[in-house]
Amino acid sequence: MDKETLFREISHALVEFEVEKVAELAEQTLLQNIPAFETITEGLVTGMKEVSRLFEEEEYFLPEVLMCSDAFNAGLEVVNPHLDKASLEKPIKMVIGVVEGDTHDIGKNLVGILSGASGFEVYDLGRDVPLDRFIEKAEEVESDMICMSTLMTTTMDGMKTVIDRLIERNIRDKYKVLIGGGPISQTFCDKIGADLYANDASSAVRKAKELMGRV
Amino acid sequence: MNEKERLLNVLKGDRVDRPPVICPGGMMSACVTEISDQVGGGHHTSSKAMVSAARKINELIGFENYGVPFCLTSEVEALGACVNLGDNLIEPRITRYNDKSLEVIMETYSPNEVTPVRMGIVLEAIRELRNSRVPVIGNISGHISTATSVVDPLEMFKLLRRDPERAARFMAFINDYLIRYALKMVKAGADVISISDPTATGEILGPRNFQKFAVPYYQNIIKALHQEGIPVILHICGNASNIVAALNEVEANAVSFDSIVNMKTAREKVKTGLMGNVSTQLLHTGEREKILSIIRNALHSEVDIVAPACGLSMATSVSNLKAMTDYVKEGYYK
Ligand code: B12
Repeated sequence: MDKETLFREISHALVEFEVEKVAELAEQTLLQNIPAFETITEGLVTGMKEVSRLFEEEEYFLPEVLMCSDAFNAGLEVVNPHLDKASLEKPIKMVIGVVEGDTHDIGKNLVGILSGASGFEVYDLGRDVPLDRFIEKAEEVESDMICMSTLMTTTMDGMKTVIDRLIERNIRDKYKVLIGGGPISQTFCDKIGADLYANDASSAVRKAKELMGRV
Repeated sequence: MNEKERLLNVLKGDRVDRPPVICPGGMMSACVTEISDQVGGGHHTSSKAMVSAARKINELIGFENYGVPFCLTSEVEALGACVNLGDNLIEPRITRYNDKSLEVIMETYSPNEVTPVRMGIVLEAIRELRNSRVPVIGNISGHISTATSVVDPLEMFKLLRRDPERAARFMAFINDYLIRYALKMVKAGADVISISDPTATGEILGPRNFQKFAVPYYQNIIKALHQEGIPVILHICGNASNIVAALNEVEANAVSFDSIVNMKTAREKVKTGLMGNVSTQLLHTGEREKILSIIRNALHSEVDIVAPACGLSMATSVSNLKAMTDYVKEGYYK
């Protein structure tokens, strides 16, 4: 199989969530000495882009997207050790979690997964996350972004608290703050002084990249 | 016509003087902070406080039913997940999933045990609440929400695709467990069973998975309850527009949707009773006039039962909810 066909097969198998097949095809790229970087960007990432599109068009839903992301990871695991790290841009780091009092984490996980699949370095704090934990973790890993999710009106003010504490500590400018979830809106984002709001995982990734100047 | 007759008649499809206005309980709990403060807390763990809260909701807010429990975690906890019971400001929530394999879970929680932990307390509360005037609604969480609260939801969702047979076995086990619990509620005196299945929303599952992994299980539980002569309300959260039609197949007595679902359109598609769908966000933060105007809309869309569209925020005021029940009872919209 030539390189282009292999990449196409990888994307295709990924979209069809054939986890083992993606891993096998990734092994083949190594045998043919195809640079890992190309396999990732032209095979795996291309596949995930297609998955995002199918998700936006409501052809795929959560179960399918999750399986595709497993297939993506299976391929990545094979080629990643062979990646020439020097050829890479420094990845954007993001700390992500669901704010204290709320355990709805399906949407947050989807944002985390698609971000990871788009080259972000994701530090997932989970759900029901104590507010100070966002800041501690961001400081610890020298994150570029702090991403908060909530689906409940009762817990959304926690996002403002985090931003206020960043200001108090004079570190607000070190981070881009991204927020999302059911009751969140652009108006709320402006009001609490966050940097970015997105209403679904695909646009979250796109907008986050734009915000960081990576298109 | 008293509150019980009105609700039971509506669920049978018979004529009534006006639509009942209810809040079933369970995920759709009206035990807001103002009520739980008055009860003094403990309404998730003591049958006495549970009964007291259910009565206060009927008396002070005016919802025309008693409904227990006030969460969707009692059955999940009984199946080995860990729960934080919250307080008067925040609802109970799951803190840790059962990390055993599905097969071990299915073996461990023996088929006959449906009374452990808080389920027994709920049954006792129902026994205490049974009466001839106000309908008692027993609330359970649907099998999809239960399954994805007992074990990690992402793993469960993937399993639907990776190993559909194994997923189906687990769903069937959960559904059996819920059927037995619901039948115990009936024995204790529940007049109606309300099933809420937030995670079964079309947004998460999509129509194909819904047809395969939700519809047949609802059919089973509803059939079992109909055999006892008990009507069933089924609530699906979020944007359910893509599964509205499929819901006719489950033959619930009434289906209930979130505020994002247009009730006029739903009315055209749904053959059974329709319950809903007063926006919970509006009930929490909206003005009185706005609230009344959307209730009017719902009534004009011919809902059979007026109810909050989904789970209320604990911070919702009793006065807003009272405005809602008063409006329906006064009947000025006619
Ligand atoms: C599934 C669900 C559940 C599941 C959650 C399972 C889980 N592990 O997450 C279960 C059954 C456990 C559950 C429990 C409860 N729920 Co619930 N639940 C839902 C439901 C139906 C869907 C949520 C969902 O997962 N959607 C699918 C995902 C993919 O979408 P999403 O989360 O919106 O995420 C997308 C975007 O928002 C965005 N996004 C999300 N996060 C972020 C972050 C960033 C940085 C960015 C940029 C973007 C972004 O991208 C995502 C992907 O595209 C919603 C209704 C709704 N329409 O949202 C109610 C809802 C959120 N629940 C509600 C309630 C009340 C509860 C309970 C309190 C129920 C109760 N009374 O006991 C408990 C919560 C306990 C607690 N304190 O945490 C209410 C909240 C009301 C309020 N207070 O504001 C809602 C709104 C329903 C309603 N109208 O009443 N629930």
